[in-house]
Amino acid sequence: MLGKLLIGFLLLFPPAFAGADSQWVLDQGTLTYHVSHPLHQFDGVSRAARGKGICHNGQCDFLIAVPVKSFDSGDSNRDLHTLQVTRGAEFPIVTVRTRMPESASTSATIYLDLEIQFTGQTVQYKQIPFQRVSQGSETRITGTIPAKLTDFKIDPPSLLTMPIKNDIPVRVDLTWRPM
Amino acid sequence: MPAKISHHRSVCIASFVCVCLFVILAPSLMAQTHGTGALTGTVIDPSGAPVAFAMVTATSIDTGQVQPAATGTDGTYNFSLHPGDYHMRFEYRGYKTAEFPSATINENETMVLDRKLEADAQTNSNTAAPAQQPAPTPSNNPTAPSLEDLGITPAQVKGNPKAQALLDRRTHMLKVHQRLGLITIAPFAATLISSATAGGRQTSTTGRDLHAALGVTTVGMYFTTAYFAIRAPRIPGTQTRGPIRLHKALAWIHGPGMVLTPILGEMAFAQKNRGERVHGIASFHGPVAIVTGAAFGLAVVSVSFKF
Repeated sequence: MLGKLLIGFLLLFPPAFAGADSQWVLDQGTLTYHVSHPLHQFDGVSRAARGKGICHNGQCDFLIAVPVKSFDSGDSNRDLHTLQVTRGAEFPIVTVRTRMPESASTSATIYLDLEIQFTGQTVQYKQIPFQRVSQGSETRITGTIPAKLTDFKIDPPSLLTMPIKNDIPVRVDLTWRPM
Repeated sequence: MPAKISHHRSVCIASFVCVCLFVILAPSLMAQTHGTGALTGTVIDPSGAPVAFAMVTATSIDTGQVQPAATGTDGTYNFSLHPGDYHMRFEYRGYKTAEFPSATINENETMVLDRKLEADAQTNSNTAAPAQQPAPTPSNNPTAPSLEDLGITPAQVKGNPKAQALLDRRTHMLKVHQRLGLITIAPFAATLISSATAGGRQTSTTGRDLHAALGVTTVGMYFTTAYFAIRAPRIPGTQTRGPIRLHKALAWIHGPGMVLTPILGEMAFAQKNRGERVHGIASFHGPVAIVTGAAFGLAVVSVSFKF
């Protein structure tokens, strides 16, 4: 009887014993870039991020993808200029990839190496700190990618002959849930 | 009996005051029970501009607990901390990391700690230096998720060179539009100033000729500027949002104004040359020019400054 119960239990919950992959899906994602100009500042926000994480053999790989045209700065003319200057029609998707040990996912602060593909360029950022907060079964990750225009070979656009600042920090706010 | 009423009234007033005091003081009393203090400040760069999204870390000297935070777009940060001493660290790529050895947080008090970050000559050396070209990880891992896993089709990823060319052409034409528009301000302003010697009682033929020449230059430049905006390609599926709507709406004022002003000016010019006082609809030349100038100036400002 006990043997049957054990077999039944193993059949019902095989992943727990086989050490199989666990997966995460992005429930809500907000990416915000910030632009500074001597005359004004503005933010462009996208809530169209999609993401997935796969953990295998103690390592987790995450991929986040955002359409370039989904960023909204509150001004359609400015967004079209942004789309042009970032070559958003030629390279319509921004991707962010990262890899981390599964054990790191319990720390309050996690340091991630990021690989970002944007404007046809692939750029890596090392040891970017992110804050991690667990909310029930969900995990919220927030942090800032300290991007610069020159990282992606973007010529700083000008307004009234004054160029924008080279820094375009991207604020990341991602809520993940297990699949 | 009156003494009894007076006593009753006093009790009522005292009770009312107590209730009022409780309502006023309750939030601060509740806050005090939390037993925390606040640490706030602004992070700025050498020019005094706020550093957005800078990393600020408070490390408790007593417990070693680390609390990270980021500045907002205005460069400000906020911490709610338990009383004690904290080592503060301010960092952002391209700037030297600034540290503050010991910030003391007292219960129910707010400490303000502003920091100016110095530019780092060996820029980006210590944090977040981007490395060009991919390393072996993470994208080359076969178990890593793919774009297809996210429901993004190859068609969505594929670039559209024609659409990019359209965007490039649009941006180029609007850049020319912007530059010409700014240049047009100069003859426009000169035309308005020269009107002092063209109209009114104290005028001269030279003054009128100068005013007319400047006016013609302004109108010529204005319509060249407008051409680049009108002929700039439209991007399908784009809805006009934000300050650009005001910029476009104002064109319905300064556009007709730029047509009407020279016509009325020509009529006024002819009347003056005949030795007549400007009369009839020609007398609207000045007011129409002023409204046109104001609308044009506002159109420039509407896309240049954030309100």
